[in-house]
Amino acid sequence: MSVPPKSNPRWADVVTGRKTYTLKFLAAKILLGRVVRTVSAAPTPENVRDAVDQLFAIYEKNASSPSAQEDIKIIFG
Amino acid sequence: MQQNMYSVVEVEKFIAEGRTLLLAGEEALLRQLPKGQWIGGTIPYFITPSEGGAVSQDKIFVTDISAVTASAITSVYDQNGLGKVYTDAEGSGFSFIILPATSPAHASFALNGPNYKDFGNRPLIGWVAGVHLSDLGKATPKVFDGSSGAAYEQEAVVMHVTLPPGKSVEVGIINIFEQGDGDMLTFAADGFSCTDVMVNGVKENFAEYITRNNLDTKLPLVADYYGALVNISFQSVDPGGEVKFYAPVFTGIRYKHAKAVSNYAASFGEQLRKSNLDGQNIVFSCNCILNYLYSELEGRKTDPFVGPITFGEIAYQLLNQTLVYMEVHDI
Repeated sequence: MSVPPKSNPRWADVVTGRKTYTLKFLAAKILLGRVVRTVSAAPTPENVRDAVDQLFAIYEKNASSPSAQEDIKIIFG
Repeated sequence: MQQNMYSVVEVEKFIAEGRTLLLAGEEALLRQLPKGQWIGGTIPYFITPSEGGAVSQDKIFVTDISAVTASAITSVYDQNGLGKVYTDAEGSGFSFIILPATSPAHASFALNGPNYKDFGNRPLIGWVAGVHLSDLGKATPKVFDGSSGAAYEQEAVVMHVTLPPGKSVEVGIINIFEQGDGDMLTFAADGFSCTDVMVNGVKENFAEYITRNNLDTKLPLVADYYGALVNISFQSVDPGGEVKFYAPVFTGIRYKHAKAVSNYAASFGEQLRKSNLDGQNIVFSCNCILNYLYSELEGRKTDPFVGPITFGEIAYQLLNQTLVYMEVHDI
């Protein structure tokens, strides 16, 4: 499974809370539990970029995980 | 996958066969074991396949992960080194961590774990070692590095495991608690204790708030991490003074006191049903000593889960009053 590139705007939609999804991959949910609030409080380009980097890395490093794969389908279709 | 109680003699045989083992048991038993590919932690409480919840001081709970292990290396981390737990042993399929309760490593992991470099880049699961409750204050929880045979009471032991080709593992949680309908609680500082809380944005003494609202402190605070419910259990409430927790509260996280659970078995069954787990692929699981005590799990089963009863559960970060499990999948 390929993980969409960081430049895909959907990543930023997730970390800013502009779009919310019911996700399954636990590590990503724990990460998002922190970063969405951080980014929402201060949605600077740097904060958004840093959050996208972290979220992308989690999915890229866990690309063989069934729940991570399901999340990618949920987020990106 | 093999998870069961065994005598020291039987575990010695498994080690001699070169199996890769995650062990839980009394210190005196673990100290008798020969060197080998195993790590362990102290605890005498278990959910066993035959009896369900049980106290055993003469057998060791064995989780044999040989079938999901191509190779493994064991590392011991002090509180300062734990930040490398996700970046060490690159290429590992998962890492299994055991921390001694109340140790510097335990406190450091609890507070800093969510911010470790490359958080979540591979599954991290484990538990917090403890002691028999009658030995609190008399004995210290310990973790063991089987490769050296050494025991530690200040450091964490981690087994970094490389999976066989075609295998993947997942970490999950079963939490019977959910947020209640009460006030939104936030905290001004990260920590295992606090004096004040922000109640819907208004500061007040947390102990007084708990007393005035008659909160049942057997029920945890629950935070919603993007749909994952994470508990913080109460350790003590000093009227007018500090409130202590078994895991840290964090600034920026919104907590609510949990809804009451009248029947653990029914709530557990409901959460199990929601998780769609069939139990066939479970490699490891552990459950919390507070669930064991408050839900009176002695003599009761929590199928399909067995394993040690712990002083804290780890699924990427420290959790309380939660069952943690790891599944293996073919890819």
